[in-house]
Amino acid sequence: MDKYNFFEKYNNRTHTIGKITTSIALILFVTAPFMIGAYLGAMPDLKAAAKAFISVGLVWTISCVVEFFIYTPMLGTGGYIAFITGNLLNMKIPCAVNARDIVGAKTGTPENEIVSTLSIATSSLVTILVLAIGVLLLAPLQPVLQSPVLTPAFENVIPALFGAMAYKYFRKNMKVAVFPLFTMSLLFILVPSLTGSTSMMIIPSGAIAIGIAFLFYKKMNKNKKSDKKGNIAENKTESTEAIGTSTVEKTEVEK
Amino acid sequence: MLAQLNSAPVYLICGGIIAFVAAVCVVFMIRAYRAGIKIGMDKTLLKRAVVSSATFSVLPSIGILLGVIALSGSLGTPWPWLRLSVVGALYYEAQVAQAAAEQVGMSSLSAAEMTASGFSTIAFLMSVCIMWGMVLSIFFNKRYLKKLGSGTKKASGGGFADTAMTAMFIGLVSTYIGSYIGNFTSSGNWIPLLVVVVSGFAMAIFIFLSEKKGYAWLESFSIAGSMIFGMASAVLVSIFIQ
Repeated sequence: MDKYNFFEKYNNRTHTIGKITTSIALILFVTAPFMIGAYLGAMPDLKAAAKAFISVGLVWTISCVVEFFIYTPMLGTGGYIAFITGNLLNMKIPCAVNARDIVGAKTGTPENEIVSTLSIATSSLVTILVLAIGVLLLAPLQPVLQSPVLTPAFENVIPALFGAMAYKYFRKNMKVAVFPLFTMSLLFILVPSLTGSTSMMIIPSGAIAIGIAFLFYKKMNKNKKSDKKGNIAENKTESTEAIGTSTVEKTEVEK
Repeated sequence: MLAQLNSAPVYLICGGIIAFVAAVCVVFMIRAYRAGIKIGMDKTLLKRAVVSSATFSVLPSIGILLGVIALSGSLGTPWPWLRLSVVGALYYEAQVAQAAAEQVGMSSLSAAEMTASGFSTIAFLMSVCIMWGMVLSIFFNKRYLKKLGSGTKKASGGGFADTAMTAMFIGLVSTYIGSYIGNFTSSGNWIPLLVVVVSGFAMAIFIFLSEKKGYAWLESFSIAGSMIFGMASAVLVSIFIQ
């Protein structure tokens, strides 16, 4: 069976499984407080919940919508699990991008879709296992993990992740990275309060990086085209010169 | 109250939901691996992607476990375990739980003030506020990806889409590093910046060893390894300098 036909079948089935499992997970997440409430003998106060939703929930709703539209192209069908298991920025996106690089898959290809799903599922499973083991061993682990010596380590998980990723991606794309890095640094220096909304600042920073990448991409394509034209012109001159020699040589030059 | 929140029925409800999500992950993982083999992807590379994703996820997961510990003092252990195993993140859960606690009349999120009604309301709000990514996935994931032409012959790879994705990721990383620089100039906290530099340097060594010295297997552990070096530098600085 053709690769694309097989992938289309696989993809359609993955979407169906994704939709069903996400729906079930959603129902379970929303009804869990009611199940626990039934056991405790008190149901959620929906009026209080609605008031709290207006004060903090709306911001998170907007953030979720923005996240969905920005990150779904990176996650592919793996997005179903990514949105069930969360931690997109600090785990799922870097994980999918890194796995894509290991396999050498290009965005939008079946290979990219498959490896993204594979890496996100693996990452989610590891988190679930680590947390399950951690909860099982909570009593002996708690003093170790919360010891003052290790506190700075766990406070800096994200800088450690982004430092490693920065080297990996900046070294090959320095021209694209310089301007957003400079702009963001300047913005955060001039308006320190922006650190409270770092995740929202990803949108303008990403837009700047994409804009610069587009300019370089256009320039590169233009250069390629002019190189191609130059080569054709060169070949034509060579073939004109070759005409005078022999017909066999002429065919070889044109080839 | 805390004893009730840590009781077997609550563990059973939360553990059951987590088990369901774990099963979903296993299904997606196996299907993706098999599909990869079927379309002719290299088995070794697929395995390397799995190992890399797994090793890289361990450290952030321990960080998430700390979030469970932090919230368990007021909400019991099973509920934060469920929330942080699935869609939640500590900064989100803590903020929403605090807002809900205020609305049910608690002065702060604490075990001493927790009531059964207060808990179920807080838990409900924590579930609702961040569910929209899932809702959108159910209704729009397929349509959205189809519109982008993902996985079709048209999207044969390369092109600007690939460059745009890398650029978006560079924008993401730049934002965070910019925030650490801003944080340093405003509060003098230079440790996150040091961690960025050390883990970046460690990554450079890992890449050198895997690309130039023939230790290709190191690539799977390069992110996790770099993170350990970066985090260790934060510990060392705190012990010896601060």
